[in-house]
Amino acid sequence: MTGRERYIPYLFLLPALALIIIFNLFPTIATLIESLHGNSLVRGGRVFVGLGNFNRVLNDPVFWKSMQVTGLFSILVNPIQVALALGLALLANSKVRGITVFRSIYLLPVAVSINVTTVVWGLMLNSEGGLINGILNLVGIERQPFLISPSHALWSIIILATWKGVPLWTLFFLAGLQGIPQTVLEAARIDGAGRWQSFRFVTLPLLRGVLLFVLVADTVANFLLFAPVLLLTRGGPQLSTNLVMYETYRRGFVYGDLGVSSAMLSLMLLLVFAVIGVQFTLLRRRA
Amino acid sequence: MATQTGTVAPKATSLQMLRLQHVWRRKGERLLIYVLLLLVALMALLPLMWAFAASLTPNAKVFEYAFPFSLRALFPVEFTLEAYEALFARGFGDALKNSFWLAGVTVVLGGTINALAGFAFARFEFRGKRILFLTVILLPFLVPVDLTAIPRFILVNTLDWRNTWQALIVPGLGNSLAIFLFRQFFEEIPQDLIDAARVDGASWMRLFYNVVLPLSRPVLITAALFLFLQQWDAYFWPLLVAPRPELRLVQVAISSAVEEHRTRWNEQLAGSMLAAIVPILLLLPFQRYYIQAVTSSGLKD
Amino acid sequence: MHIRYIVLMTVALLLVVAPLAAQEATTITWLNCCNWPSEEVIAEFEAENPDINVEVETVDFNALFEQIQVRLGGGASDPDVLSVDVPVTAGYGLRGWLLPLDDAFSDEDRADWLPAALAAGTYNGELVSAPVSTSTQLLFINSDLFEAAGIEVPGVDDRLTYEQVADIAAQLTQDTDGDGITDQWGFSWEQTVRIYQLQPLAVGLGGQSIGDDGLTVDGVINSQAWIDGFTFYSDMFNESRVAPQDDTIGTSDLFWSGKMGMMIAGPWNINRYLREADDIDFDWTVARHPYFENGEVTTPTGSWHIGVNINSDSPDEAKRFVQWISTGAGAEAWWRRGSGDFPAQQSVLAQFQTDEEFDEGVQYFLRVAADEATVNPDPRAVSPGYLEYEQILQDAFQDIRTGADVEESLNLAVTRIESEMVKYRG
Repeated sequence: MTGRERYIPYLFLLPALALIIIFNLFPTIATLIESLHGNSLVRGGRVFVGLGNFNRVLNDPVFWKSMQVTGLFSILVNPIQVALALGLALLANSKVRGITVFRSIYLLPVAVSINVTTVVWGLMLNSEGGLINGILNLVGIERQPFLISPSHALWSIIILATWKGVPLWTLFFLAGLQGIPQTVLEAARIDGAGRWQSFRFVTLPLLRGVLLFVLVADTVANFLLFAPVLLLTRGGPQLSTNLVMYETYRRGFVYGDLGVSSAMLSLMLLLVFAVIGVQFTLLRRRA
Repeated sequence: MATQTGTVAPKATSLQMLRLQHVWRRKGERLLIYVLLLLVALMALLPLMWAFAASLTPNAKVFEYAFPFSLRALFPVEFTLEAYEALFARGFGDALKNSFWLAGVTVVLGGTINALAGFAFARFEFRGKRILFLTVILLPFLVPVDLTAIPRFILVNTLDWRNTWQALIVPGLGNSLAIFLFRQFFEEIPQDLIDAARVDGASWMRLFYNVVLPLSRPVLITAALFLFLQQWDAYFWPLLVAPRPELRLVQVAISSAVEEHRTRWNEQLAGSMLAAIVPILLLLPFQRYYIQAVTSSGLKD
Repeated sequence: MHIRYIVLMTVALLLVVAPLAAQEATTITWLNCCNWPSEEVIAEFEAENPDINVEVETVDFNALFEQIQVRLGGGASDPDVLSVDVPVTAGYGLRGWLLPLDDAFSDEDRADWLPAALAAGTYNGELVSAPVSTSTQLLFINSDLFEAAGIEVPGVDDRLTYEQVADIAAQLTQDTDGDGITDQWGFSWEQTVRIYQLQPLAVGLGGQSIGDDGLTVDGVINSQAWIDGFTFYSDMFNESRVAPQDDTIGTSDLFWSGKMGMMIAGPWNINRYLREADDIDFDWTVARHPYFENGEVTTPTGSWHIGVNINSDSPDEAKRFVQWISTGAGAEAWWRRGSGDFPAQQSVLAQFQTDEEFDEGVQYFLRVAADEATVNPDPRAVSPGYLEYEQILQDAFQDIRTGADVEESLNLAVTRIESEMVKYRG
């Protein structure tokens, strides 16, 4: 490149990157730095406390319980959503009459905001006699304590997050499936591959790029999720839905304890980085 | 397999049987597919059907059949449009207009600048590329925007942008996910096309505008969807920086049905139904573009 | 000539414009809660004070606290005026977010406020949030369900014991269509997890809301009174199952749908009835707040105050507005045409006992409620850490409601609250 050319990529980057640096990166870093400070309410004002907030957080059983809940949530929700999205995409890729109508219906939840999703699903999952229990009752299954039992509540959050989240990822998988040339699948069939084999050895490897994208984007989205917990279970019962992001929100915006809240956020960020790093290496290596 | 073991039946019959079997299997399979398709459709629709029915019911009757639930709850009780009328009397129409304007401006401006950045990451080698991508694009993507709202709020307050459109628009323009999608798509544009334009002496800007963008409709539409939904669903930030009634947005307007000791459920659900219609109208006609955006991008392998 | 002409013109112009400029109104913003109707009240204030414009920003209850945290915590100059939930006064005072208001009020103004409300708005000897409203709770009764079950409907001035309430509730809880799902509930509290409403359960048995230092909870919220009070609470949800464990469909929604026999709830439900009366087709009445057979009568109290942002650009105008709406005609306007909550001024509150409009019908219930507000009201804890205290107790009540052990839940709350209170100790 010539001397003048060397600046061109930076010119292309400038508007978006400048805005992201000012309005996203700076607030993120400022928030993380806050984790080294405390509000000395007794002496007044903001003081440097070093790793004091981290010390407090790491010795706080509520935080560790939240980490457990978050870990369990991630281990459950991400594979479920990715598998369901892929399964739905395969289903929506069937060549039957009226399929476009079904595809359109499947997209509807994308248009409903997470707050509204939470309100409606909260009413439907009501443990005493909501819609879902009504249906279970009709088919003779006993009432489930969806939102009031520590063993069920996290699943309820998973259900509503899945209803809202899966359709978008389905769209991505559907696109990936339609990008696979018909000839490749024909060839596999002629070679005598069964349905499962051609899915396993032809379709899946060709979807790896989409799969990696969906997995990472979905994992991040689910790490960031806390609106349903805020609006529905408030972290309970018995802290069984107390996701770290919710606890972080509560410390920062309800208790007004920004230092501790930021320390939690920093620790959480480390975890997210680690998980995504693992996902990348695992899926890249198999490529 | 049947032919190999079919030692008794004559060949013709065996073939017929095989075909019959095949037809039945295909019919059974199709039936199964339809059953599955219907089940999933029902799951997608059920919450919306109830919400829609409740939005057409007087508030005091919303739970008449919904608790304990009976199928009657999927139809309006004492049909009324009062919730919709009350919504519009409280300025919901203006909120729809405001949100549409905000999301529209964000799509146009944000789409442009994120596409430019995505192009730089896809087609240029430059110093600091990797580190910029990791820190500027990835890091903010991993943190919920709401939890970093305080420094952002102080910034906007210092700029004296409170209660202005720019406070709503500008912080939402740069979008990591959009940049990432653009990068993946642009990486797949054949080098020949770019080389040809370069040989013709086109500047990079002209090349971007005349060669790249015309090829990029699918990814433009997909990124537009993300940007649109982000602004359409915005609630926390607008309430912080632009609480003035003239700037009221649609999700904030929906939340105004929540009183201290009572929720006007029918109104809240009516607002939600109307708020969902706009993105649906934008989603459905463009489905094939979303699909193309992925099929012709680097995401596919 | 020329220059003189210009100067003359300028002076003339200034003479015309100056009074106009002086008359231009100052705009103040009011961050208000809960989407209360405020247009009429604001119009009244602006008519009396043409030099002040009030712009109202109204958000729902949960959003209000985040808004205040970010905006006042971030040092913004707006809102000028903000609605303050009484018990957070100390926390906001401690953080230095509220402007002292003492010079805005006369001695008569102060004397007219309910003493408990005045005390709750004071931090470090200075008035930082002016009382606007107060509250109480009544027992709401679905008379039709009582009659159908052959139970005598209590009179408006009757006060049932909790034991009687539990007994009646058990008779009212039914699965009328026999499908295995309860469709008619006996009783619940309107806000099933809020300390505001549940405090009488412990205080009525001799408990205290918080230690005398406003920080200690060990030995207080896990005392025998608390354990006994909340064992009763737990039994209603888990043993006799007369109250729904799941509160995603709210108590008052169930009551006003005719699916619940009794609820302890605020008098704002009377306003709710008046707005939805056309669609409510059962007879109902109220009774006084229940008490334990072997305990004292005590009622919830406290409601909304109003304060001024320490960074406000127009503190004087803000104070004038605060003074107007928390006293006299303004207070009355806010009660009648604004939030509908009981005013905190005794002279205005007295109208419930004297005005003819409260002589009969549903309006008479308001008179009873206004009187009930004076029967041994027990304010919430005064503590700089009230928000933490309330949130953590909310977790504990939710756990108890859904079946967790009472004593363990309260002990866990003690551990959590004590560890939050450390930062407020010296």
